[in-house]
Amino acid sequence: MSRQAAADTERLERGYRRVLACYPRSFRADSEDEILAVLLATASEGQARVGWAEAWDLIRGAVRMRLWPAAARPRAVRAAVKLMLAGAAAELAAVITVVVTASTVRAAVAARYPTAAHAATTHQVFVLVAAPVAIAMWLWLAWANGRGEDWARLLSAASLGLFSLLMLGNLSEHAATYAPADMIAAAIVWALGLVAVALIFTPQAWRYYRPVLVKQ
Amino acid sequence: MQEATFLILTALADGAQHGYGIITEVAQISGGRVKLRAGTLYTALDRLRVDGLIGVDREEVVEGRLRRYYLLTPEGTKVLAAEAARLHANATAALTRLRPGLAGGVA
Repeated sequence: MSRQAAADTERLERGYRRVLACYPRSFRADSEDEILAVLLATASEGQARVGWAEAWDLIRGAVRMRLWPAAARPRAVRAAVKLMLAGAAAELAAVITVVVTASTVRAAVAARYPTAAHAATTHQVFVLVAAPVAIAMWLWLAWANGRGEDWARLLSAASLGLFSLLMLGNLSEHAATYAPADMIAAAIVWALGLVAVALIFTPQAWRYYRPVLVKQ
Repeated sequence: MQEATFLILTALADGAQHGYGIITEVAQISGGRVKLRAGTLYTALDRLRVDGLIGVDREEVVEGRLRRYYLLTPEGTKVLAAEAARLHANATAALTRLRPGLAGGVA
């Protein structure tokens, strides 16, 4: 191989590696060298640049792998994803409950805890503002957990913790007595989150979130 | 089943092949019509491995690079046989219905 040919091959290899960087890390750890050997074997004589058609084919493969990972989702993860989608729906139902019962709750608070009336209204406004964020969060976490992102699992657990604290805070303010419907709705949302988080920390799910990479 | 997947499984039907070997086999089987590209091939192999239709037979290091040989699993053999039978039945039905017309058209 002439010096020019060797330089061309080296340049081509660098080009391929740049495109292969689009692939998921687990795939690269397992197969990057292998696919690179195939790419170099199918390259034409004297080729020094990645062709458009090749690049397109590689990028399409990377997008497919990222959007629809082949890794079979364990049943626990599939169930957790469904529960999180249900959580988004339950959150919506909970907000509707808060809106529907708003005046009743305000009346109940005004009658029993006149000093807390302002705080109750503030709380209702907070729920309305926070709800879209919470619904988006449920959907986002369902998507990311389905893909086996480890950070999504930790974020799910942290969100559940935060939600639990908010619930305890509401209970300590006697929310259960003057806003029973709201608290039941919140408890349903919370229970969905609890079961979903429990599922993504089962041993079956651990292997999905932290796969053992094949070392070469 | 997509045609590329069908041809990849067919390429492995009579023995283990490595990536480049599959590409040349598929070109041969399809009479040069299907030229698999590396991205398509490895996306399909990744999926087939996870689905348990193919497995890794052995690994070799050639010129400092890993070369993996893939082979059909018993499940893969079963799936390919079923798909081949389905395509065969469809093709036979099509040819049978076309025959009178073909006879007239060709003559």
